[in-house]
Amino acid sequence: MKYAFFLGCLIPARELSYEVSVRKVLPKLGIELVDMEGANCCAPFSIQSVDHASWMALAARNLCLAEEMGLDVMTLCNDCYESLLMVNTILKRNPTLRNQVNQILSEVGKEYKGKVDVKNLVDVLYGDVGVSKIKSAIKEPIDGLKVGTQPGCHMTKPKRIHFEVLRGFNDLDALVQATGVESVPYERKEMCCGGPLRDINDDLARQVSRQKLMALKNAEVQAVVTVCPFCFLQLDLGQLEVKRHFNEEYNLPVIHFIELLRIGMGMKLEDWEVKAHRIPITGILKERI
Amino acid sequence: MAEKTVLIIGGGVSGIQASLDLASRGYKVYLVEKSPSIGGRMAQLDKTFPTLDCSMCILAPKMIDCSHHANVQLLTYSEVKRVKGSRGNFLVTVLRKPRFVDETKCTGCGICADHCPVEVPNEFDEQLGMRKAIYMPFPQAVPRSMTVDKANCIECGLCQKMCQAGAVDLKQEPKEVELNVGAVIVSIGFDLFDPTQIPTYGYGRYRNLITSLELERLLCASGPTGGHLIRPSDGKIPRKIAFIQCVGSRDRRFGTTYCSSICCKYSVKDAVLIREHEPNTMVTIFYIDLRAFGKGFQEFVNRAKSEYGVRFVRSSPGEIMEDPVTKNLAIWYEDTVAGRIESTEFDLVVLCPALVPRADARELAKVLGAEVDSYGFFKAADILTNPVDTTVPGIFACGYCLGPKTGDIPDSIMQGSATAARVAEVLERV
Amino acid sequence: MLSELDFDFMQKVANTPRGKGILLCIQCGRCSSGCPVARLTSEHNPRRLMEMIILGFKKDVLPTQLPWYCLSCFTCLDRCPQGGDVGEVMFAIRNLAVRQGNIPAGVAAQAKSLYETTRVINPIRTALDKRESLGLGRITTDGLEEVQKILKKTGMEKIVKSP
Repeated sequence: MKYAFFLGCLIPARELSYEVSVRKVLPKLGIELVDMEGANCCAPFSIQSVDHASWMALAARNLCLAEEMGLDVMTLCNDCYESLLMVNTILKRNPTLRNQVNQILSEVGKEYKGKVDVKNLVDVLYGDVGVSKIKSAIKEPIDGLKVGTQPGCHMTKPKRIHFEVLRGFNDLDALVQATGVESVPYERKEMCCGGPLRDINDDLARQVSRQKLMALKNAEVQAVVTVCPFCFLQLDLGQLEVKRHFNEEYNLPVIHFIELLRIGMGMKLEDWEVKAHRIPITGILKERI
Repeated sequence: MAEKTVLIIGGGVSGIQASLDLASRGYKVYLVEKSPSIGGRMAQLDKTFPTLDCSMCILAPKMIDCSHHANVQLLTYSEVKRVKGSRGNFLVTVLRKPRFVDETKCTGCGICADHCPVEVPNEFDEQLGMRKAIYMPFPQAVPRSMTVDKANCIECGLCQKMCQAGAVDLKQEPKEVELNVGAVIVSIGFDLFDPTQIPTYGYGRYRNLITSLELERLLCASGPTGGHLIRPSDGKIPRKIAFIQCVGSRDRRFGTTYCSSICCKYSVKDAVLIREHEPNTMVTIFYIDLRAFGKGFQEFVNRAKSEYGVRFVRSSPGEIMEDPVTKNLAIWYEDTVAGRIESTEFDLVVLCPALVPRADARELAKVLGAEVDSYGFFKAADILTNPVDTTVPGIFACGYCLGPKTGDIPDSIMQGSATAARVAEVLERV
Repeated sequence: MLSELDFDFMQKVANTPRGKGILLCIQCGRCSSGCPVARLTSEHNPRRLMEMIILGFKKDVLPTQLPWYCLSCFTCLDRCPQGGDVGEVMFAIRNLAVRQGNIPAGVAAQAKSLYETTRVINPIRTALDKRESLGLGRITTDGLEEVQKILKKTGMEKIVKSP
């Protein structure tokens, strides 16, 4: 399976380790990633708040690039996923809006045709690779680790766009279990990490991630598994911010699912990648890293 | 003769009324009922609105009339399998499921059940209580006969050994009977919306979160707790009860966009009953709109507020969380009048689910060749001119299977009489 | 004061691409009961915001902080029984607020970055160096010309360039 790889803005800026892990793991599972040349920002919620037509056109431009490549899009970030998926779904269903957007795109010689689909990492791992293949790719299961998974808002809501109820929850949990790790239920798993308010209302963003951390701590998990770089930022770096502002320690290491998978497949993380986790992961994954 | 014979499918109060009306006019009525006894939903209720009369006390005489009437033949534990023909001359194949008990011999003494070693959840009690594999669904069952639930029976033969009347026949076979009738009436009633479809409420996960029908069984003297309202988790008397309205109703997420029309009424009724019985128990009703239309209902709501101290909060709650130790439930809601978002703890929460067509309604409609609407309710031929006719001439429908525009028990009874009149009219012209 | 209400406000919001849900709101409050931000501060209340739009409190909504508390987590939208689409209406009023010059500094900065570099945030020097040392592809501004043409056509360029 081949995908147009949509990186987004946050990962190259702040989470290079996520990108590296993806590029190392996916080819081993039969997924080929082709970089999207000249892609622009997906138009996340901040930009959507500024102007509607700009959002549609910017997202559609990326979809056009994928159409020109003849490949479906794979995103890592939940914001990118939601933005591209929503625009793709709306434009496929609504010819009037499609014409309006294509009018704008004609300025740059592009036309949205509705030929590709948008998927995220969990879609690809669960749908294309499959749990059993992942299980067999695990060299040594990661035993004895209890985690809380954070699927993120924009992989699972609004449900009418994501079609299946609890989609993303169950898929991600199944993937996590395949590595040997136990995914534990916790209160308000569906709740946002607070990411979208970062830099807009930092105080509220902190309070929201604090609620999330409290719920995770109450469930006595040993770590948090994320798929979205925003969630990772809010819960990892955000934990230090919460500590500073509320004087509360959570000691909850946060790790991306793909890193867990990489470790389970027998690959070691490099020093700088380990250090990229502000809350140390060496405690829970000592020999494996 | 077919023109003087009618088949009625569904032995709830609506079908029972139609049976009695037609029987007293001289028609022969076959009343087919899927479960072991007629009675339907009304038999499950404790007290009815607004007179607060005992439901079974009103229903039982009608049920007995049906069993004793010379012109009514009960075919319980039976299903309609095939229908051929047309108005005035239908040929219906009814499958009589084996109950492994001879109805004519059984006295309903219950010795067999006393000795039966198998216990399973009782459907009539909404799975709250238990029954044996050989059972009578409720004490006032009509016909007064035991039934063997073969799926759970271990075939130990104890019931047969203990029966003094020799009524148990574990070798009974299913039997198909052919009926020649002039008209058919469908009165199969409703099912409850399954609240597990709303994961944020936690139905199925939290012990003290029940549906309104489960509450009726807890309140009913013939129910699993003998009429004592106790919490499922620890048997204590609940002191803070909440009702949540519109669980699935008026909700476009599940296709049940309509108002189920009776839930506001019955929840206020239940709230008043509870307050009368347990003056130390507080009751709060969470509602979007309080729909108390018709004679006496608004007055009843006013009395609930002023005389009985029932608390009404205009809010549709979003989520419920359980305290793992006490099993109390915290409801998160916004009091829309005060504009405050808060959570309040209750020790018992009652959900009022939408009333939906029965799961087997579509299949029966196919067998009859009748149309259902987009919700799955039987479609009236024309809601203004032929409101109780289905889309098949000679086949009629009454009660909630026609949809929620029917209200409560008086409406269902009215419709039962309406279809009886229509049947008589149509058959006289044949 | 009644004279300060804009009785066309609801329809104006309903006419925007993401705002039509406002017409279906029955004020049941289910949205608020799930909102993570509303639980933390009484400033933010999705149902009340919808109420203010319905009643015409334009002056008390558009120039204020009220549109900017939302996380866009869509919890409200998922729970609404009537198709009120609260989360979408939030976007609609933010679009209207921006047109009036009400835009938080963080959002304005992201919009400006998008216009100037095609991205809302960019890697700093050390991140770019690390990228190169790992042999990963370059982060370019190849699409800049096209992006700027698009943003000029949609009018967002004007918003970005205004003080």
